Amino acid sequence: MDNFQKKFLDEASDLVSQLEQALLTLEQDMGNPELVDSIFRIMHSLKGGGGMFGFDNISNYTHRLENMYDLVRQKKLKVTREMLDITFESADHISSMLNDDGSKTEEIKKNEEILNSRIEAILDGDSMSVVTVGDSVEVKPGLASYYVKVKPYEHIQRNGTNPLLLIDELVGLGRAKVNIFYSNIPDFESLVFDDTYIWWEVILATESDIDAIKDVFIFVEDDCEIVIKKLADGDVFSFDGIEPLLQCSHDFPFDLEKITSLANTIQALEKAKTETAQAAAAKEDKGDEHIKKFAKESTISGIRVASEKIDSLMNLVSELITTQAGLNLYADRAKNAELTRIAEGLENISRQLRDTAFSITLIPIDYLVVRFRRLVRDLSREVGKEIEFEARGAEVELDKSLIEGISEPLMHILRNSVDHGIETAAERKAAGKSPTGKITLSAYYSGSQVIIAVTDDGQGMNPEKIRRKAIEKGLVAPDAQMSDKEAIDLIFMPGFSTSEKVTNISGRGVGMDVVKRKVSDIRGTVSVSSELGEGTTITISLPLTLSIIDGMLVRIADVDYIIPLSVIDTIFAVEHEKIVSSFQNVINIEGVQYPFYYLRDEFAIPGDAPEREEIIMVKYEDRKIGIVVDNITGEYQAVLKPLGKLYRNQDIFSGASILGDGTVALVLDTHKVINQFTRYNDL
Amino acid sequence: MEQETTGSYISFVLGEEYFAINVAQVLNILQLVQITKVPTAPDYMKGVINLRGTVLPIIDIRMKFGMEPIEYKRDTVILVLNVEIDGEIVNAGILVDAVKEVFEIQSADILPPPGIGSKYKSKFIEGIFKMNDEKFVMLLDIDKVFSTDELVMMKDTTESPESKQAETIE
Amino acid sequence: MAKTILIVDDSESIREVVNFTLQTAGFEVYAAGNGKEAVELLDGRVIDLVITDLHMPEMDGIELIKYIRATAGYNRVPILFLTTESQLAKKIEAKDAGATGWIIKPFVPAKLLAAISKVIR
Repeated sequence: MDNFQKKFLDEASDLVSQLEQALLTLEQDMGNPELVDSIFRIMHSLKGGGGMFGFDNISNYTHRLENMYDLVRQKKLKVTREMLDITFESADHISSMLNDDGSKTEEIKKNEEILNSRIEAILDGDSMSVVTVGDSVEVKPGLASYYVKVKPYEHIQRNGTNPLLLIDELVGLGRAKVNIFYSNIPDFESLVFDDTYIWWEVILATESDIDAIKDVFIFVEDDCEIVIKKLADGDVFSFDGIEPLLQCSHDFPFDLEKITSLANTIQALEKAKTETAQAAAAKEDKGDEHIKKFAKESTISGIRVASEKIDSLMNLVSELITTQAGLNLYADRAKNAELTRIAEGLENISRQLRDTAFSITLIPIDYLVVRFRRLVRDLSREVGKEIEFEARGAEVELDKSLIEGISEPLMHILRNSVDHGIETAAERKAAGKSPTGKITLSAYYSGSQVIIAVTDDGQGMNPEKIRRKAIEKGLVAPDAQMSDKEAIDLIFMPGFSTSEKVTNISGRGVGMDVVKRKVSDIRGTVSVSSELGEGTTITISLPLTLSIIDGMLVRIADVDYIIPLSVIDTIFAVEHEKIVSSFQNVINIEGVQYPFYYLRDEFAIPGDAPEREEIIMVKYEDRKIGIVVDNITGEYQAVLKPLGKLYRNQDIFSGASILGDGTVALVLDTHKVINQFTRYNDL
Repeated sequence: MEQETTGSYISFVLGEEYFAINVAQVLNILQLVQITKVPTAPDYMKGVINLRGTVLPIIDIRMKFGMEPIEYKRDTVILVLNVEIDGEIVNAGILVDAVKEVFEIQSADILPPPGIGSKYKSKFIEGIFKMNDEKFVMLLDIDKVFSTDELVMMKDTTESPESKQAETIE
Repeated sequence: MAKTILIVDDSESIREVVNFTLQTAGFEVYAAGNGKEAVELLDGRVIDLVITDLHMPEMDGIELIKYIRATAGYNRVPILFLTTESQLAKKIEAKDAGATGWIIKPFVPAKLLAAISKVIR
């Protein structure tokens, strides 16, 4: 559009010169109607072009002047000295708007305010009502029903009108029924090519007002008989009992009288009902004018609720989900289609209720970010480093209890970044980096997980140094073979600190092992990646909510287990024989070697395994690892219950869930299962 | 006059012996239901059951006392208790061969626990009471049975490889 | 097949914005600077709609409308003329000459397309 705008600017400059010329002449011949006309037309062109090419400021401003000169044209105002002065100044003003490159916008605005008030003074002085700038506010008439008769004159098509398009447009305004009348079509011999003989009746229910309906026929007002009648407020098609009167039929007109009277009766009834209800309501809240007024004035967008109430709501929802599972089970067994249908319908509602209820407990991470920003600022000053803190995805929401649980570990991580990660300004300069370090906290959703990553562009971790330290501290054997990644992972071992000197910020006791444990407490995992000299990223993955998970219900011997769907990649059926004969717990499936864990063995479950078993491929870091179970029952929405303090050592189970038949299933944390049953060098 | 306190106790049978627990710590008595075993847990931790929508751990207290594992019989019941573990009140169920009766005793009638050489770990016993039928009932300090030290001491036989390794490294 | 529209206006900026709007909406567009150029352009071409300004040098809009209505092959082509709100007298004159409808200046693309949809589809 740039091109159009440029052309408009040229044209507008011409118009301004024309305006100046006309003004000079008008000054000599005040009240010359032709000059007034041409000034009006110039304003009109500027207004139109401005509006069309995106110069709204010009359009708005000239609109006022146009109004002023229109009043002069209508002899309601007289040309005065002040008016001419204003117009001369307006010409300058318009020129400067046209030439403004943005540097003078403020100045122009001020100038315009002064000019506007002078124009207002002239218009007010005459106590004329002024049309306000812009379109007048459209008042929605609400839904109403209309009768429209369209009977074109025979010649209507001669100037290129296609009446069918108009009927189409009319019908497009809302809900409509159309009667077509063919009775005027003459014998074939006397039929004149492209004369029009048919006509239409339309019943239309629309939110458009009567003017909008008239607008459809604006080009053909003089070319046809148009009758538009309002039948009733509301949509007559929705009125009970009126339907038979609205059937389409050729050559039989709508019975308007009947439609109108029936519509009126129905409406009177509705009105009476509403009034009765209102009267009853009014009686109730008499004297509560204050409250009524308040209710009208403000729609409340949110309320505060005590967290105990939310907890209790959550508990009820959890119980509902469990009870629902019982109903589903019963419906399945009963083999009663109707019962199954009802159970499914109820399940759908329960699910939605669950989602809504759980969304209530979600709090944006932003809640923490404010604190972290402050923390990083204060800490970086304390250690004399320049650090910029950026938070991305602060709108990501987490369960209230997760927000509480994640705060402390994140604080430790940030402290570590400030203290160990980011170098001093001098060190950074020497390394060719910007003297200001940067710590970024980013949060985002990934499946049913929320990922929170803290990245710094500091010195990164030295795997060799970590390894040496770990050996020094007796955490690993001196001859232990490990990759760089494995070495870096050693920071999660208890009592690990790579800092040369212990500072008061992150000395001993706030090591990464604490972070890891705290994150585990809320069913999260933490990982680290680091590039020497480039920086470090600590990534925390958290479940979206703590208490309900979508899982796969599986069975081993007589015990049910649940594996979260979020970790499941694929499931294969395998012969027990193949498992027995596999070497070192690695199985070949479709040409790929997968390590696997045979839970019957790991759990020391006595008894014979079935001939065919299921191997569930679960995601573990960047690998897929098999978990072998007896069989798969199906997907299950599990309400997670804690196993309790007594089973705190059994952390391979993130909890338990009560099944529809009242028995308890154990929820497997596959990550921990794999960690627990793996010796260091296995993977 | 010295202040006499009375307490209500419920008595139950483990093997041949009678035990009693203060009723303040007993929530209810449940008929045996299906117990879901939790793999990798010590054997005396029998598993979990569904108690009105919550998960209740079940302990075979006979094994804790060094007796033969419980055999489920007609009279076998679960006593649901609230116990204090590390300052936190939690619910847990214990399997007992049968419950007997609820009775009141005066504190003065409680005898001190047996000394060294007793069949049972005396630290779990807060006292002994002689019933009217001349039977001795051991009054259990159930919180001690569930204390952390005890749980650590009674550490599982199915020890995880990870923790084993940690030990070798240290 | 794309409908063909002839736009006749002496203002280059109007021509271009109409051209741009219509091409974006999928029409094929011819443009002429006045009635005379329009007549030359018509010359046997299939045109589905003519949009014309009324005030133009050489041959104005009214003359063009009359010419089109008198020419076999074009006499039923819809014609929309561009006008301002104030030119009511001109509106009647143009309708009498055979115009199908009109478009009020200034217009935004949506308004232009709405007017067009009243006469061709």
